Amino acid sequence: MLPSVCRGVWRAAVHTLRTSRGAPPCRLLSTCDGVPAGLADADTIFALSSGHGRCGVAVVRVSGPSSATALRRMAGLRCSLPPPRAALLRSITDPQGKEVLDRGLVIWFPAPHSFTGEDSVEFHIHGGTAVITAVLQALGSVPGMRPADAGEFTRRAFQAGKLGLTEVEGLGDLIHAETEAQRRQALRQMSGELGHLYQDWSHKLKRCLAHVEAFIDFSEDELIEDGVLNQVDRSVCNLQAEMERHLKDERKGERLRSGVQVVIAGATNAGKSSLLNKLCQRPAAIVSPIAGTTRDVVETALDIGGFPVLLSDTAGLRDSPDLVEREGVRRALERVEQADLTLVVVDCAHVPADAQQAAAFLQGHLRSVLPTVKQRETAFPADRCLLVLNKTDLLPEDERRTLDEELRQVSGLPPVCLISCHTNEGLQDFLTLLHVRVKTLCGDPLSGAPTLTQARHRAHLQQCVAALAQYKHYRNIDLALAAEGVRLALTSLGRITGRVGAEEILDIIFKDFCIGK
Amino acid sequence: LYFCRCASHMLSKEPPLLQSFLSLVSRRVSHLAQQQYDVIVVGGGHAGTEAAAAAARVGAETLLVTQKINTVGALSCNPSLGGVGKGHLVKEVDALDGLCGRAGDWAGIHFSILNRSKGPAVWGPRAQLDRQRYREFIQSELLSTPGLTVLEGSVEELLVTEPNPEEPGRHRVTGIRLANGSHPISASSVVLTTGTFLSGSLFMGQTTSPGGRIGDAPSSAGLSHTLRERLGLRIGRLRTGTPPRIVKDSVDLSLADLHPPDSHPTPFSFLNTRTRCKPEEQLPCYLTRTNAGVERVVRESLHLNHHIQEDIKGPRYCPSIESRVLRFPGRRHQVWLEPEGVTSDLLYPQGLSMTMPPDIQLRLIREIPAMHRAEIHTPGYGVQYDFVCPTQLSPALQVKSTQGLFLAGQINGTTGYEEAAAQGLWAGVNAARWARAMPPVALSRTESYIGVLIDDLVSRGVTEPYRMFTSRAEFRTYLRPDNADLRLTLKGFEEVGCVSSLRYQEAVRVRDSLQDALAALQALAQSSSKWRKKLPDIRMSENKSVYNLHCDKQKKEMERIQKEENMSLPQDIDYFSLPVSLSQEVREILDRVRPSTLGSAARLQGITPAAVVNLLGYVVHTGQRERIRHRNQPDQKEEKEEEHSARNASLPQ
Repeated sequence: MLPSVCRGVWRAAVHTLRTSRGAPPCRLLSTCDGVPAGLADADTIFALSSGHGRCGVAVVRVSGPSSATALRRMAGLRCSLPPPRAALLRSITDPQGKEVLDRGLVIWFPAPHSFTGEDSVEFHIHGGTAVITAVLQALGSVPGMRPADAGEFTRRAFQAGKLGLTEVEGLGDLIHAETEAQRRQALRQMSGELGHLYQDWSHKLKRCLAHVEAFIDFSEDELIEDGVLNQVDRSVCNLQAEMERHLKDERKGERLRSGVQVVIAGATNAGKSSLLNKLCQRPAAIVSPIAGTTRDVVETALDIGGFPVLLSDTAGLRDSPDLVEREGVRRALERVEQADLTLVVVDCAHVPADAQQAAAFLQGHLRSVLPTVKQRETAFPADRCLLVLNKTDLLPEDERRTLDEELRQVSGLPPVCLISCHTNEGLQDFLTLLHVRVKTLCGDPLSGAPTLTQARHRAHLQQCVAALAQYKHYRNIDLALAAEGVRLALTSLGRITGRVGAEEILDIIFKDFCIGK
Repeated sequence: LYFCRCASHMLSKEPPLLQSFLSLVSRRVSHLAQQQYDVIVVGGGHAGTEAAAAAARVGAETLLVTQKINTVGALSCNPSLGGVGKGHLVKEVDALDGLCGRAGDWAGIHFSILNRSKGPAVWGPRAQLDRQRYREFIQSELLSTPGLTVLEGSVEELLVTEPNPEEPGRHRVTGIRLANGSHPISASSVVLTTGTFLSGSLFMGQTTSPGGRIGDAPSSAGLSHTLRERLGLRIGRLRTGTPPRIVKDSVDLSLADLHPPDSHPTPFSFLNTRTRCKPEEQLPCYLTRTNAGVERVVRESLHLNHHIQEDIKGPRYCPSIESRVLRFPGRRHQVWLEPEGVTSDLLYPQGLSMTMPPDIQLRLIREIPAMHRAEIHTPGYGVQYDFVCPTQLSPALQVKSTQGLFLAGQINGTTGYEEAAAQGLWAGVNAARWARAMPPVALSRTESYIGVLIDDLVSRGVTEPYRMFTSRAEFRTYLRPDNADLRLTLKGFEEVGCVSSLRYQEAVRVRDSLQDALAALQALAQSSSKWRKKLPDIRMSENKSVYNLHCDKQKKEMERIQKEENMSLPQDIDYFSLPVSLSQEVREILDRVRPSTLGSAARLQGITPAAVVNLLGYVVHTGQRERIRHRNQPDQKEEKEEEHSARNASLPQ
């Protein structure tokens, strides 16, 4: 005989709905007030799709189920949506503050007739940094919206069957490029004050989660006092308040370095500072024949062909017993890691005369200057590096010409420019090449645009705050759901500071508690 | 009725006595030499018994080989089952018709649900067990399983074919050879569940002896040799330990805190409504603590403690009292005194696992007030043993390089009865399916803790004995102990074939009545203010809609993961020559781990999003080429479906 319904305490006390496979999702029994926003479906993405720098119009794309909501709220449309795929001139407003951000075109692409196959909206707005930042932040404040991940629009297009196989093959490269750009940007941000703040939050959150998890998994058998949870409560409260203050703070805290990051790097006495002075047409850095003159990073904001560039001169790379110089070298390498474009300067007197040897020498030199190249890829990222052979005035005319011709034929090197900062020889060609590079980089919406990073950070922090609210909401009702909130908060913050795995949490648990069972 | 499935023979008559059991087995043994089996399971612990029973349930002619029949189903270490995370595994094993849940209900003498105050997703059903009853239940259950034979013997050699030149590096299992028997016993699949016996050595003080458990013969070196030398498997070493057993009468229990069980025992099994032990018959546990004296004894005897000095990875959880004291000095560590059985006169001091010489063990124990006159029945000891790095296994727990060879339990680097049982069941299922030429089945980490366990093992490997925690599960609020039957029983019957129709019907009934009840409740939709008026005592946020939001959200994430899981990567890819843009580093990781799906590849450390997309491009591309090659064959419909699923495959973040 089968047992009857009597499933004992076990079943009866389970107050949750059981979702079995295939069953339709159930309606809510009551409209439950106070459900934190972090629970809403976060599946609509947005991003600046045009480049930055000098441009008249910027395009912001939105894709996903909440696109229509975003359009209605931002373009002041009460209920009706504009006709599909037709441009409409509207005032674009902040859905919360109701202030007008810009006047521009909005285009509505209902699914499936859009690039991604989902409901999509395009905002064509003015290209100024302030306007773009404001619109991105406003979008981030619409529930269910988040900044797109690297290559996410293309991925969604692929999922919807909008891309062919050949296009998919290009997708890997695109995602690689975008991830790299985001990685460089994150590095830039993380080395500043802001970075320390976020890291600190992440560290505190990790401990909170570890302590909640320890309480869930071990408190029944182990010595884990209830006090642990009270500590977590306090930490969560403090963190939430801190983050909210940070989000409200109109002062930006620190100036984000804007523009394409170009870094001059190389061995000592190669003429790096001379090149900086040439480029900014003023003696911004001290130049001397003594090796190791530059010890810190010297930054100059430049306009190259109309595009914003932040040029950094760095200390010459060499092993030095001097503590100050060693720190200078460390900073130099850090800058190279964060750079969009690196100008590797070499004293051409050091280059061997033989073409084969010269190529090998230069490749070896590049490896020592670009440390990441060694680990990450097999070939040099030709679009992220220029090789500058300086001091050509010290070479006899015919030697210079053969070197130039031979290096042109060698493959496996980034573009090479022979210049003399002393006589200005070759400088014009170099400037033209630099201009082309900077222009390409600016066409990429990801490189050097702090507005995007700001919008991204903001959105993730908002999610983080909402998730912490979830913790407080469920703290006394269901600890598993409360822990879910801290997990979610850590994931959101992890999108800024780096992913946190289950093992890392367990590490903290076993460091802080003696688990004997 | 009392017990459902086993009621007929379990309660109407006493479980068969060991003597009659043995004679029955030896009768079966006599025909052995000529016999051939579908599945051979080596080892009769938690993994082995579940594996043998599961293989037989799937319909395979199964042989269980164990060194000593009367230790089949023995609880080698602690006399308890379940807990937080572990209890989840027991419920899942039960939902798949495994043994340990029902055995726990039969043998339990102290039931409690841990974490009752923390939300049903993390409730931990747990029981103290009577060792004797547990063994009896497992043995009689195996005996009454059709198609299952139990044989006493020591396995000398694992028989494998030479690698097939067509498929380089691939062996196939053909059977085993016993230490005393000249005839090999052939089988299509072999499941190894050797526990701590694989090159095991026991440590006590400064003495070391070969073996996996005190009182049992060490296993033969042949098996270890085959795994290492012939199959070229990467082997690691781990350690564990067990506390001394204390004579109950010598303990002054009035000096320890009493911990009573739940007043109403909750059974583990979905088939049981009651436990064998009546509520009032349950035995209590006792809690006491270590003190400065214990710490002093540990420090003074370190030079006599060989096990602690060795640099082999032990667990950070369940550590010996030595490492607890050394890592967290100055604290009073908890020691639980647990009953070993109804008739047993011993206590198990949970938390006092130790490896020092026996005279010092006695000195240490007597430092604790409640045990100041305690007598040791059997001293504690440490074990070091070999394990096979589990990244060499497929999600079906089959050794990737050897067809038909399955591993489960401590041999895969896990610790704990429940972890072993879960793996054993799944390895047994797949071993039987392999023998019967059925495709392997896998459980996803989105649907079960068993899936989490196996995925963690095969895709991440282990550096210390692996134990289940609820914090390892991403979808914890969905993977609850209470819905294990709805998650797994239906699938276990319909897709896997390891669930009896009786249990299946019960699960269907539960599902249907729950759905009916839900529908009825939904018809009662009202605004929250009206509800509040009607039910002033219930906090609105406590009702089901809260969980529903979570479930819907998690479901989306789960669907995304499941799509990735469905994109399988061929096992024979040469990652080093793959014409795809991948860095050397990524190639090395992929070659080492050989993930079986795109999803598990994406979870590997060091795999970039770009690498995953490039891999996807390759898989889709190869799929297309394959189809062109088979163009002349019919089955156009399948082709379309394949393409469709490839297109729908989600790309990981």
